[in-house]
Amino acid sequence: MKQYLKIALILFAICAVAAALLAVVNAVTAPQIAANALKETSAALMDISGGYDLGEKREGDGNVNYVITLVENKEIKGYVLELTSNGYGGPITLVASYKTDGELIGAKMMANSETPGLGKKSEESWYMAQFVGFGATAPIPTSKNDLADPSLVSGATVTFTGVSGALKNGSEYVKSLGGK
Amino acid sequence: MSHTKELTKGIFKENPVFIIMLGMCPTLGVTTQVFNAIGMGAGVIFVLLCSNIIISLLRKVIPDSIRIPSYIVIIASFVTIVEMVMHAYVPAVYSALGVYLPLIVVNCIILGRAEAFANKNTVLDSALDAIGMGVGFTLSLILIAAIREILGAGQITLINLSESARVIISIPGLKDSPIRVMTLAAGALLVMGYLKALFNWMGDRKAKRG
Repeated sequence: MKQYLKIALILFAICAVAAALLAVVNAVTAPQIAANALKETSAALMDISGGYDLGEKREGDGNVNYVITLVENKEIKGYVLELTSNGYGGPITLVASYKTDGELIGAKMMANSETPGLGKKSEESWYMAQFVGFGATAPIPTSKNDLADPSLVSGATVTFTGVSGALKNGSEYVKSLGGK
Repeated sequence: MSHTKELTKGIFKENPVFIIMLGMCPTLGVTTQVFNAIGMGAGVIFVLLCSNIIISLLRKVIPDSIRIPSYIVIIASFVTIVEMVMHAYVPAVYSALGVYLPLIVVNCIILGRAEAFANKNTVLDSALDAIGMGVGFTLSLILIAAIREILGAGQITLINLSESARVIISIPGLKDSPIRVMTLAAGALLVMGYLKALFNWMGDRKAKRG
């Protein structure tokens, strides 16, 4: 009995020290991690705003987390949407900006756990550039065969389906807003 | 065994990837780009060194019956620390390594060295063993990644922190028409198989001669 108590106590001590250490490191790094995320988001929003000013922020619904209006001279010219979807490595988040008629101005991949070298390519600017200009008269390409060069996304079809589906939903959501 | 032997054995004679065949999951998973291999290797060297030192220090304190849970707690703590620090201060590396970073916890090399070496040897030998094994692991990863990236994408990515901080060497000819299967999962298994065969052949030849 005494033997078991001793063993349990040793394991408890190791766990307690480990937990304390982790708590300290977490306390030091958590504010920095939050600041990084905020900086990344605001930089991404500026990147894809297409030269318009960011207006008010509204609640979204469904796969749209939030909507920010893009304004010029107090007139709504478009919207920035934060969209969620599913990639190969779990949920993905992206921000995308649209003109009021649903045409994609720009998009950026945010949080994701895609495979480095394959789905991770969606973080690069050329990946989203493949969709820019679509959404109004021409629909957002949702099949690899609709792309100018399908080999660019080959090997990461699940990521492509997740991204293109989210962008298409966003375009339809913007159309449903009707410029308001 | 001398101290230098502890350090160098991990690089060829007891190479963790090709001879002991430990840590196959990250070996096959992250080796799509040379940069990922370097990042993964650095993470493993750090965690392996810290865990080997701590486990060697505690080898007389930790009773045999609870050694595995103790090792796992120690290893998981170091991995979580690496993850949080990287997330906070080098977010580019953190996002490049993605899901593989937390997987260092279940990397068999780390638990394997704790169980096979650090709990029986002195702190100095354990630290040398960790560095040797870690470097051997990293070099193996870089070798596999280089072969896969050169053949599969026609390039070598040395640094890839952001779109502005990046060093990529392109290989003319292969860049335009790469053998794309090499960057996919099947390519990892192919390269691994051929390299394992090569190492076996070299080992056999050495044994026959000796």
